Amino acid sequence: MDSSVAAEPNIRVVKNATCTFCGCVCDDMELTVDLDQKRITKAKNACVLGKAWFAEHSVDESRPVAMIEGKEVSLDEAIDEAAKILVNARFPVIYGMSNSTSEAQRETVKMADLLSANVDSTSSVCHGPTGMGLQGVGEPTTTLGEVKNRADMIVYWGCNPSDCHPRLSTHYAVNPKGMYIPNGRKDRTVINVDVRSTTTTNIADVFVQVKPGSDFELLWGLRILVRGGKLNPAFEEQTGVPIDVIENLASRLMSCNYGILFFGMGLTMTRGRHYNASALHMLATDLNEHTHFVVKPARGHGNVTGADTVMSWQTGYPFGINFNRGYPRHEPGEFTTTDIMCRGEADAACIIASDPMANFAKPAIDHMKKIPMISFDPKPTPTSQAARVAFTTACYGINTPGTVYRMDDIPIPLRPAFESPFPSDLDILKPLVKRIRELKRAQY
Amino acid sequence: MKLTVHTPPEVPLEAEILSPTSLAGLSEAEVSALIVHHGNRKEALGEFFSVNGKMNGRLELEGDLSFVKLIGQGMADGEMFIEGNVSGHLGCGMSGGRIVLNGDAQDWVGEDMTGGSITINGNAGHMVGSGVRGAEQGMLGGEIFVRGNCKNEAGGAMRRGLVAIGGNSGDFTGLNMVAGTVIVLGEMGIRTGSNMKRGSVISMNPARMIPSFSYSCTYQPIFLRFYLNYLRDVGFEIDDAWLNGSYQRWCGDAISLNKGEVLLYQS
Repeated sequence: MDSSVAAEPNIRVVKNATCTFCGCVCDDMELTVDLDQKRITKAKNACVLGKAWFAEHSVDESRPVAMIEGKEVSLDEAIDEAAKILVNARFPVIYGMSNSTSEAQRETVKMADLLSANVDSTSSVCHGPTGMGLQGVGEPTTTLGEVKNRADMIVYWGCNPSDCHPRLSTHYAVNPKGMYIPNGRKDRTVINVDVRSTTTTNIADVFVQVKPGSDFELLWGLRILVRGGKLNPAFEEQTGVPIDVIENLASRLMSCNYGILFFGMGLTMTRGRHYNASALHMLATDLNEHTHFVVKPARGHGNVTGADTVMSWQTGYPFGINFNRGYPRHEPGEFTTTDIMCRGEADAACIIASDPMANFAKPAIDHMKKIPMISFDPKPTPTSQAARVAFTTACYGINTPGTVYRMDDIPIPLRPAFESPFPSDLDILKPLVKRIRELKRAQY
Repeated sequence: MKLTVHTPPEVPLEAEILSPTSLAGLSEAEVSALIVHHGNRKEALGEFFSVNGKMNGRLELEGDLSFVKLIGQGMADGEMFIEGNVSGHLGCGMSGGRIVLNGDAQDWVGEDMTGGSITINGNAGHMVGSGVRGAEQGMLGGEIFVRGNCKNEAGGAMRRGLVAIGGNSGDFTGLNMVAGTVIVLGEMGIRTGSNMKRGSVISMNPARMIPSFSYSCTYQPIFLRFYLNYLRDVGFEIDDAWLNGSYQRWCGDAISLNKGEVLLYQS
């Protein structure tokens, strides 16, 4: 299926291109590309975020492909220096990967294994608690195609897809007509649970406002009702939601044909974290006694789901993995990057397609300033500026092909718009892994 | 035998061999030659510790141990005295013997322990006496005494044994508890006893209970006197008023078996 058709001499139209901005990974983009200017001039079907993602991506050819201590060097020199840093480190930390292809993620896990390093994705500061929560209670899961064709009850809990994943509602979950949802939006009920009204509230049939930090108690209350119990007045006191509203919500959830709970940082990054996520998964399990109910985290970065998936099938664990002893071990809090950095344990870091220097806690950033870092990024960032070795890479999805995983764990191929003069993450990782292997052999 | 840190590790040092059980019958030279994991390298214990004395069931550790993990893992007998702060997994999976720590410990103290006792004359991190993540049951026996504060999920999924915290505990104290006793002399965080089946969580301060717990009665539990006197004997400061005091009894967690209890000192 060739998707590229020459419309005008220097204009290329790419059909069925994939947007890698958020976890929706919409694969029905029609991109118009000005090849002279190396710019995407039009992104048909894209949401407001996708339009900005495509429109604002330009390639600054004046940037060096690699830098050591801020000075331009050749790619080979930089790879050699990066390999030496990583091989000499006793506790190297490899982090990021969410904005990279699964092929590059696979190579990254190989590198971590080879180095006996610590490897972690941005999940650990995002939906990591979801992974921890479901390990204890199981995951009633689904795909977005199933949601489109079957779901008559959509719950958005602690997330705001209208702003963060605009096409989750319009393309997959709320508006489209499906096999068993012939009238689209009219056949579905949308419930929004949040601490304040958001733009998602505008598309919801029911809005339940919960007191900040009491989602766990509300979930616990719903579980009691779904299991046939009764609520005492303390639930209203603690959650701020009247008992009759909780009862109404529970009966709606139990009486639907196919329900889905989408949730976001409102659960995973507020007090209770993994236990909030776990409570939501347990609610879905309880609801399966009455009807069919599933859960899906609304994942943020384009391929953060891929990072979890690739690490799971390569090591058995989704994030926070340590190879120090030659085999993978998983322990959130112990082997998650932000905790390692806050305790000052790492002696080198390799940051792939992410920017922890801009969003980690201050003690973590302070430690990262002290250790040699390697960064892979298409643009200059606080991380690339603080890195000893900085690689400029091509942007995945726009410039490089590969595979990314949608938030429902479905792999989607990428169809790049135009070529970049810079190498992809994978193009650098492959020779880097080769060089690491050579240096390791020389050591023994 | 006494082990003193002469070169603090630069990255985490995994030294599960540091227990009287593992070192029993070894000479100074043999102990120095034992292998520990310094990050991703295997190195000799002697690179970090100077070893003095004979091993006679008593092991002393001293110095900067803040990067040393897994001390006392699987310990079955003997005594260990530690001066200084230690990293995670102190006494994990231990089945007997005694550990006394003069300092702070990080997360996972006494994870999955089945017997013995751990005393921490300082603060502890998260998951004191807890089971590994996803496990249905954690601590199966033994005692953990923390003089200072601890963080979240103390006594998570414990099945038997005693966890006593002299200071405050974090959120989810006694989470998923199957049985056993957690006593917090200070204040507890929120969501105490979530999903607990049986077991007792006791605190000397008021606490906000999750609404799936129901108030049962206020009474003077006789058994608690024995516990509190025992804690006084092991060095905790016990107020006389607590011995004969009245306690609110809360039953829960209704979402689970509802056979657990939380006792909160009232007057």
